[in-house]
Amino acid sequence: MELNAARSCAIPDIHCLLEEQARLKKRFQELQQLKKESRISPQVKVPFPVPEFPLVFRGHTQGREVPKTSLSNLRICCPLPGGSALVTFDDPKVAEQVLQQKEHKINLEECRLRVQVQPLVLPTVTAIQVSSQTSGRRVLVSGFPAGLKLSEEQLLDKLEIFFGKASNGGGDVEIRELLQGGVMLGFTKDEVAHRLCQIGQFKVPLGGRQFLLRVSPYMSGKIQKAEICFQPVPRSVVVLNIPDILDGPELHDVLEIHFQKPTRGGGEVEALTVVPPGQQGLVVFTSESG
Amino acid sequence: MAAGEDKTNFMLEACEELKNKEGNKSLTDEIIRQNTRLENAIHKLEAELKVTTRDLQIKDDIPGTKMKFTPMENPENDSQFLNISYSFQVNLQIPYELQKGQALITFEKEEVAQNVIRMGEHHVQIEDRDVKIMAQPVALDSGIRFQVHVQVSKVKIQVTGIPDGLPEDQMRDKLELSFSKSRNGGGEVECVEYDSTSRSAIITFVELGVADKILKKKDYPLYINQNCHTVTVSPYIKTNLEKFQVFSGISTRTVLLTGIEDIQVDEETVEDLVNIHFQRGKNGGGEVDVVKCSVSQPQIAYFEEETYGII
Repeated sequence: MELNAARSCAIPDIHCLLEEQARLKKRFQELQQLKKESRISPQVKVPFPVPEFPLVFRGHTQGREVPKTSLSNLRICCPLPGGSALVTFDDPKVAEQVLQQKEHKINLEECRLRVQVQPLVLPTVTAIQVSSQTSGRRVLVSGFPAGLKLSEEQLLDKLEIFFGKASNGGGDVEIRELLQGGVMLGFTKDEVAHRLCQIGQFKVPLGGRQFLLRVSPYMSGKIQKAEICFQPVPRSVVVLNIPDILDGPELHDVLEIHFQKPTRGGGEVEALTVVPPGQQGLVVFTSESG
Repeated sequence: MAAGEDKTNFMLEACEELKNKEGNKSLTDEIIRQNTRLENAIHKLEAELKVTTRDLQIKDDIPGTKMKFTPMENPENDSQFLNISYSFQVNLQIPYELQKGQALITFEKEEVAQNVIRMGEHHVQIEDRDVKIMAQPVALDSGIRFQVHVQVSKVKIQVTGIPDGLPEDQMRDKLELSFSKSRNGGGEVECVEYDSTSRSAIITFVELGVADKILKKKDYPLYINQNCHTVTVSPYIKTNLEKFQVFSGISTRTVLLTGIEDIQVDEETVEDLVNIHFQRGKNGGGEVDVVKCSVSQPQIAYFEEETYGII
């Protein structure tokens, strides 16, 4: 636009253009400075109102480091193949001892079971880079009354029905997510989100009544980089290639007895899960405090 | 970026030189071209600045001794048998710069905190001196919270560093042949997705356990017409972000106190005195959770979400 203004000078005046260039140069340098600053102290600057969450100071102080993160609801779900078992010991040292022998021979009355043991290796995210940006296709719907008697699925359905209608200014919904203090809706077309945000407020029927809900722009996030490393779980071992001789409960007892024997390098077993041959199993790890 | 900057500076200098030869049409054109280039660079920078990137370090002892093991679970769907899935919620603590002479006090009850703010001026006895302390709300930055979901496939692996020189179809077959060889740790291949431009592939095995076996080593032999090449193998990992939310922090139970200046006592003593003063009902206070004073130097205090604990 500024460039056009410069062109409209009666004669393409060189001074006019150079003034324009000086202005552009200044703006360019300003932006570069801003970029430098944003690298030093990354802060989310939000150009529109976002939901308010209560925060509290619990006495944590520190030097000027990367902000501390707190994790919760950690959950790792790991499949186990058929003919395997997961043994968790009370003491990590026992697990170490058991793993020193790759193959274990388990004595039965008439025969021997040969099985292999392995550490249980699980992925861990050690560092993550997340970027945020105003999304062109997503909106945040907020202002829900307290004590709404709708399940998550029901609420999302009602919102998708309302905001899916062109007569309400909406369009096809592609993605939906229940958040704390709001619902994110993602549309297939750019202009829908923009249009809804401009209107800003909607009377939406929810559970037999109409409520005034607010629609505002949504900041979406993206993982730019994630560092994942694989670490063995300290107290657990996986037993593999268990032959198909015994049925489930019997196999469970035989394995527990074997891995409890200190003479075989074992020790107190806290938990044992058996996946009989020909079946599939899942184990779930959660954080103890969560 | 630094290179781009140099270029722009160079352009500007060149332009200064040309300025003396006036009235030249090609000169005007040149300046217009330079201005357009500058404008483009500005647009690019503006777009970049709209995106905020944060680096987060996460404690690396997650599957440590604190993990609780739950045996079986009814799977929600069959794909759970094919991946290790790993998810967690991240809540960032929000830093607040506590200046010299300021303190933060957290009350057990919100009403008490709000009452202390409403009263505004408080007089606290520190070392036989009456210190005038002002109470006000804490202005906090915005924060983010999100969930990270990671899936590590138990049947797929990623192959990189595949040599050039074979048509796509043929390369796909060579990959399938090599990764089927049980003597190298391979197994029956279900499908091969080969991308010739990045010279990488994703191999899906029929059985569980084959991928694990291959991934014990970092490389794998790939046979192409009597030649043995070495390709790199790595786990096939998908990460995604869910329930991403930007919010603005409000402090309901924590109050900012200012005016704790020119005091010759150590921080701990001041904190105790402030605590005692504000826990008294007759001073407008109530049960106190925590007090933090900055007497001699500024420090960073971290605010947490009310509802979520720390592991």
